[in-house]
Amino acid sequence: MTLKDKLTILADGAKYDASCSSSGSSRSNCDGTGNASISGICHSFSSDGRCISLLKILMTNCCIFDCKYCLNRKSNNIKRAIFSPEEICEITMNFYRRNYIEGLFLSSGIIKNPDYTMEKLIETIYLLRKKYNFHGYIHCKAIPGCSSYLLKKLGNLVDRLSANVELPTNKSLKLLAPNKDNKKVTNIMQTVRENKNKYFVPAGQSTQLIIGATTDTDYDIMKNSENLYQKYQLKRVFYSAYIPVNKDKMLPMLKTPPLKREHRLYQADWLLRYYHYKTSDLLTIDNQNLNILIDPKANWALNHLNEFPKEINKASYYELLKIPGIGPTSAKRIIKSRAYYPLELNDLKKMGVVLKRAKYFILCNGKYFMPSKYFQKQFIYTNLVLIDEEPKNNSSRQLSLFYENK
Amino acid sequence: MKTNNYIYLYDGSFSHLLNTIANLIKEQIKPLNIQNEITYQNDLFSTALKITNDTTDKLSYKIKKTNPYIYDLILCSYLSAEENKELIIYYFLLNAYKYGAKIIYMRKLKCVSKILEIAKYVHNEAHKMKGFLRFQELKSHFLFALVAPTNDILGFLSNHFQKRLPKEKWIIYDEKRKKMAIYYQNKIYITNIDIKNIKLLFSKDEKEMEQLWITFFETVAIKERKNYRCQRNFMPKKYWHNIIEMRDKIENNN
Repeated sequence: MTLKDKLTILADGAKYDASCSSSGSSRSNCDGTGNASISGICHSFSSDGRCISLLKILMTNCCIFDCKYCLNRKSNNIKRAIFSPEEICEITMNFYRRNYIEGLFLSSGIIKNPDYTMEKLIETIYLLRKKYNFHGYIHCKAIPGCSSYLLKKLGNLVDRLSANVELPTNKSLKLLAPNKDNKKVTNIMQTVRENKNKYFVPAGQSTQLIIGATTDTDYDIMKNSENLYQKYQLKRVFYSAYIPVNKDKMLPMLKTPPLKREHRLYQADWLLRYYHYKTSDLLTIDNQNLNILIDPKANWALNHLNEFPKEINKASYYELLKIPGIGPTSAKRIIKSRAYYPLELNDLKKMGVVLKRAKYFILCNGKYFMPSKYFQKQFIYTNLVLIDEEPKNNSSRQLSLFYENK
Repeated sequence: MKTNNYIYLYDGSFSHLLNTIANLIKEQIKPLNIQNEITYQNDLFSTALKITNDTTDKLSYKIKKTNPYIYDLILCSYLSAEENKELIIYYFLLNAYKYGAKIIYMRKLKCVSKILEIAKYVHNEAHKMKGFLRFQELKSHFLFALVAPTNDILGFLSNHFQKRLPKEKWIIYDEKRKKMAIYYQNKIYITNIDIKNIKLLFSKDEKEMEQLWITFFETVAIKERKNYRCQRNFMPKKYWHNIIEMRDKIENNN
């Protein structure tokens, strides 16, 4: 088997992991090759529009587990391969020097047992850091069920650690991933959280959830994410629209992956992290799924229309954040600028406010931008849905969420 | 302030531009235009003149020290491909002297919103090129990259790679400006040079590595999610001819 064949097999097995970010670490170069950029750098974009910043590969696609949704499960009859530590280091260094990549993303199937797999991963990354003197970004998967000693050893070498939750409820986990145990994943998160510092997993931890493989609702998913953010201080939860790679009677047969739903979940996730929303603001027991047609923030605003329209020149930072079309950056700019002169509709555009969304919800110096009889739920709703329907906005907004440079 | 019909020339350097503008502001002159003497073309209706030969960087240093953010804005516009950048800098500085540090919040002024826009564009492009630049290994073990950015961001790029690849020796060549940054033994040298029709001798591993990368690039895409429009949005076609994995795709209309 040539190196090229191996790379094909092991990159193919890793590609369903959505995590691509290379941000959050400012590891500097000490007499070797590479450094990390705090904002992260995207080096290329594949034909699905996702950014490529890391060499995303599996150490091996052999696995003792049999998770129903996974391409690499034990019962699948596919070509198996394994990279030696030297091979991984050589490819990483050669790609990095040529500026193809920002670093390494190393995951693996589970061979023999979790501890053995972890030792192999550590061996590889130790070699890369110490012998090859590599100071670039490394994201490594932690194998659930490994000993905490190994986890701590790995954490000292990498920039980001992650363990995938995959499914939001225990019920669906039992159904689709009988060998997996939610407890083992949260144990990893707990250990990482307790030990995190400048040298131990500096870019923090992340996880991934599969969307649409089970009957779990958006409410289950968001509650789970909210819990993870609060309890383990995760940097990111990634959502991955389920793509049927295996045939199994337990799995739904989808014609197209639920990309739109994934997109809305990412938007809701952003609201949790940057806009001070809670899951309970967006979803309730009676209304367990996000509206596919409209973004969750606009949906919230429409349900609280009595709080609008907001006066741009008076609203507080937190009130500004709740206006559709205004984000943290433009809200800060508004606050700074209005100290010097009262803002008008035209000024807002220069500050990066998305006026086609915001105009329904704001007053500038007491002026509403159109006849006030149009300030009603149905009219605004229809108009906002139509904005999202435009195909151009659709695609760019959907995937812009993977582009993490902020 | 008096407006006159002169076009003021500077020698193309940042410090000479700043000194010229500072002189104009001091003399309370509103120029018709300020232009680079290298690209300036004579016309019948206006007269061109140079008012100072001061090319010291005392003033730029002073601005940098008092307000690094404003310095960055001016430097970025100087590096940008914007047509009337010199006049924009002139009006921006004129207002900056008047209003002080709070100038950056006054987007109502056209020169302020414009200069912020330009600086953002230059920084964005520099950031993107840090990712899209591709080195090729030459026989002499130099790493060689061709770039063709819209703005003059060679300085940003060489600073970035000096920190990132300090042990290598590399060359970045800006095709558009015929400018080259050479990094050799911990030093960066920037020179103007035209290297048309140069033949590059690659190291023996180079082609294999490129093939390996293209394999990875094709494999990692999920075909069920394909979205060429999104790919093009993030990675504009104007850069493709220097990106190894995209070079062959320019002809295809995807």
